[in-house]
Amino acid sequence: MGIEIPFDVASIAGPEIGGIAPPEVIGCYITSARRPLLVVGSEILRDNFFVEIAIEIGKKGIPIAATGHSMRGFVEKKYTENVYYYNLHELTNCLRDPNWKGLDGAGNYDFVIFYGIIYYYASQMLSCLKNFATDPLMRTVSIDRYYHPNARMSFTNIMPRMEDEYKDMLKKLVESIKR
Amino acid sequence: MEEIKKGGLVDVFDLKNVDIHIGEIVDEGEEEEEWEPMGPHPMPRIATLRDWDFKLLNRYKPFYAPICDMCCLCTYGKCDLTGNKKGACGIRMDAQQGRMVLLACLVGCSAHCGHGRHLLHDMIKKFGPDVPIDFGPEVDIEAPLTRLVCGIKPKTIGDYDEVFSYVEEQIVQLADALHTGQEGSYMDFESKALHMGMLDSLNKEAADIIQIACYDMPSGFPGDGPDVPFVDVGIGTIDTNKPVIIVIGHNVPPSADIGVYLTENDLEDKVEVGGICCTSIDTTRVYKKAKIVSALGRQLRVLRAGIADVVVIDEQCIRADVLELCQRVQSPMIATNDKAMHGLVDRTDDDPDKIVDDLVSGRVPGVIILEPDQVGEVAVRTALQMDKKRRSLKFILSDDEFKYYVNDCILCGSCTLACPNGLYIGEANKSAAAGNLKPLADLFDICVGCGRCEQVCKKHIPIVDVMTKAAYPQLKEEKGRMRIGRGPIWDSEIREAGAPLVLGTIPGIIAPIGCGNYPNGTKDAWLIVKEFAERNYIVALTGCMAIDCALWKDEDGKTIYEAHHGGFSGGGVINIGSCVSNAHIHDATIKVASIFAGRPLRGNYEEIADYILSRVGACGVAWGAMSQKAASIATGFNRLGVPAVVGPHGVKYRRAFMSRPDRKEDWKLIDASDGSEVYVEPGPQDLLVACETVEEALPMMAKLCIRPSDTDRGRSIKLTHYIDLNQKYLSAYPPDWHLFVRAASDLPIATRNELLKKLEDEQGWKIDWKKKKIEEGPIRGYNPSFNPTNLERLVRGKK
Ligand code: SF4
Ligand code: SF4
Ligand code: SF4
Repeated sequence: MGIEIPFDVASIAGPEIGGIAPPEVIGCYITSARRPLLVVGSEILRDNFFVEIAIEIGKKGIPIAATGHSMRGFVEKKYTENVYYYNLHELTNCLRDPNWKGLDGAGNYDFVIFYGIIYYYASQMLSCLKNFATDPLMRTVSIDRYYHPNARMSFTNIMPRMEDEYKDMLKKLVESIKR
Repeated sequence: MEEIKKGGLVDVFDLKNVDIHIGEIVDEGEEEEEWEPMGPHPMPRIATLRDWDFKLLNRYKPFYAPICDMCCLCTYGKCDLTGNKKGACGIRMDAQQGRMVLLACLVGCSAHCGHGRHLLHDMIKKFGPDVPIDFGPEVDIEAPLTRLVCGIKPKTIGDYDEVFSYVEEQIVQLADALHTGQEGSYMDFESKALHMGMLDSLNKEAADIIQIACYDMPSGFPGDGPDVPFVDVGIGTIDTNKPVIIVIGHNVPPSADIGVYLTENDLEDKVEVGGICCTSIDTTRVYKKAKIVSALGRQLRVLRAGIADVVVIDEQCIRADVLELCQRVQSPMIATNDKAMHGLVDRTDDDPDKIVDDLVSGRVPGVIILEPDQVGEVAVRTALQMDKKRRSLKFILSDDEFKYYVNDCILCGSCTLACPNGLYIGEANKSAAAGNLKPLADLFDICVGCGRCEQVCKKHIPIVDVMTKAAYPQLKEEKGRMRIGRGPIWDSEIREAGAPLVLGTIPGIIAPIGCGNYPNGTKDAWLIVKEFAERNYIVALTGCMAIDCALWKDEDGKTIYEAHHGGFSGGGVINIGSCVSNAHIHDATIKVASIFAGRPLRGNYEEIADYILSRVGACGVAWGAMSQKAASIATGFNRLGVPAVVGPHGVKYRRAFMSRPDRKEDWKLIDASDGSEVYVEPGPQDLLVACETVEEALPMMAKLCIRPSDTDRGRSIKLTHYIDLNQKYLSAYPPDWHLFVRAASDLPIATRNELLKKLEDEQGWKIDWKKKKIEEGPIRGYNPSFNPTNLERLVRGKK
């Protein structure tokens, strides 16, 4: 793990900040989850590749909460099994409650993966979970091209000229999620 | 003894054997006539409406997303509150967040209160306290919030002294609660924030009523209301061949004086007056030749473009570095309000010749003139002289400069990390260097004009100027049109629209308000208005969103105001006015309860809010909410039972109010007709919620217009839009549409069979296909005489 500046430089909330990790480590971390949830935002729509990555993760049995208008991408790819539209604010409001029944009625999640969400929106929702989803502890990661100190683990900031590297990281991540 | 009448003369030397007691001298007939019996809660204090607040807060539990995990408000700190820990004073993270929200609302509410009080002082000084509040034949209920909250029916502007005294006292009590070692409950902090929000709505109404009364702004006379004239909007509408005065802020008297001076000196066609932010909207309500240059988001760029021969600022939403920006382009600045003095010298009452000379010669970068009636002459004469001096100056980059800068960019990405919208400026520079200006030009509208990027650029590239240069061809053509702020909704319009709104056949009031901190540019503001106006909602706008949506045109070259009527009825696109004018949107919902439903107003806040929450399908949208005022405005709407959607930056307010439709017990209402308890569908589901994109926000707003009181016809219309907007923007049915179906008649006829089938297949509902009826499944059946309330005291008869 290294040290990085948040994607929005001033987003340093306090003493508890998450680390940067390579895709294999994050993949391994996701593998350790009992009931993980992939939370997807509208930024996945900027390239088909990102929708396909979400679907590949979904196919590993991880349910998908499609927030923003990301649902479009799943409908276009005709992958809607295990995909539920949810507003991210409302979803986070549920995730912070240990008694929430989850998207499938089987209970809340112990691990959330944030992906394709506008930086500052994701950052605030991760802050809510960090501060209030503590008993039982909800683990959080971001697999966006941003460093997110409010997630326990995330990638580093990746600028557009490194887009190919980012895509490779996502592929590696998917490979390393064993379920 | 002979009674002394106001205005009457008595020779005291003629009086013998009398004791003289000077008390308050009252006009004959000035005693308050009983216009309506006083309700239960006139001038509520902090705890008065707490029960109502807790009803809201238990359903719409405060949600917190801290933007800072620490507190540094006292010397025990800094305290680390991460993980809902307590600080040294014992406050938990959740209560600390409530405290910060209250602080934001305090600042917002104080801004409007200070503004209103300032205006009242100036107007009483200019016109005296007896300016009547007479809004013409179309507006009888002139001040719904004042009647509702204070129990006062104001007759003259002087009556607002008492109103502001009440608000000021409450503000101080609420501010007191912020001190270390007072409040410890987040619920109570939020109740206090709701109280602050309500006070803020009252401030806004007071301020707008005072300015309407004193400046003869549009209200309820022929030619007002739906028929107000249009005004030019956009940077491209300013004729820079003339001297240009740019006014910025919210408090109109100094700008109004500029209009007066120009008119009296026959200079109306020789000098351009353009405004930024709400002062621009209010100036056009007073001086018909004024133009609206831009909303708040373009302030930095308009100033840097150097079009202003003089800049006049008043209060609120002015950049803190405004003087520096003015100096950079040699625009003298006049500060006119003691809340924003920028280190300048106060020249109030000084000789105008000397002030103008000092400004034009550049001996001083700016001056303070605190007397609004002294501003016009100095501003106009300075502009006339500066125009000649500044004519040869150019502030838009030359082609060579532009090329140099875009080529100099090293793609380091520092600007992106500094940018609130994370814009990839370096990449756009590279495209421009290769000859493609479009990516850079496209960033211009998404940029919120903060200037943070430039401060971190190691190559010292003036990024804002580079973007402006790339977008300059479009900017020159930025010429929109909008209606001037019309102020109050007419009582006759409420009489017409009240029933369809409560029954649901006009599907709702959409109220786009507030600032320009948009996630993806101004076009979203236009899209929101267009989508709902075309669906027969009433769209009532104020402030920066009212301006920004006027910058865009349809295929016929019409702005959204030109394409729609300006009345308070289905399909109307109404510019209500500036931020303080948005009280008239509260007022419209209150008047529905009062005029349409005959509910008493006076001192009766709780009952009216209860009515609005359950019956008036209104939804605010502050897509670019930025300021503390926006926080208090939204909170004021919420206490009155009106939900609001904010853009993604709105999550930085830290707090939202969202319900949990899966918690049945939260959705128990009372049927006031017989006292029975009824579990209802979640309408409105949230009071404050953020959406990530405009595509998500559109169906969300449609959903938040659903109310338990909808008739089946109304519900079917609302459902149609909710489902259709989901399909259009999210390519899917909303997952929760079934929650809002009470009976088959709630479903639109055209798709009823298809929807019944979906209910049967996907939700397992029992359908009687012969009768086309739902036998089992809904949360409740449709009962046309359901009389929903949250207040037990309103139950008329027990079952
Ligand atoms: S006010 Fe309380 S939480 Fe804040 S610094 Fe002081 S002791 Fe710490
Ligand atoms: S001025 Fe515009 S581009 Fe620069 S940081 Fe601010 S929003 Fe971003
Ligand atoms: S900070 Fe300056 S040099 Fe770096 S990418 Fe941005 S514009 Fe280019």
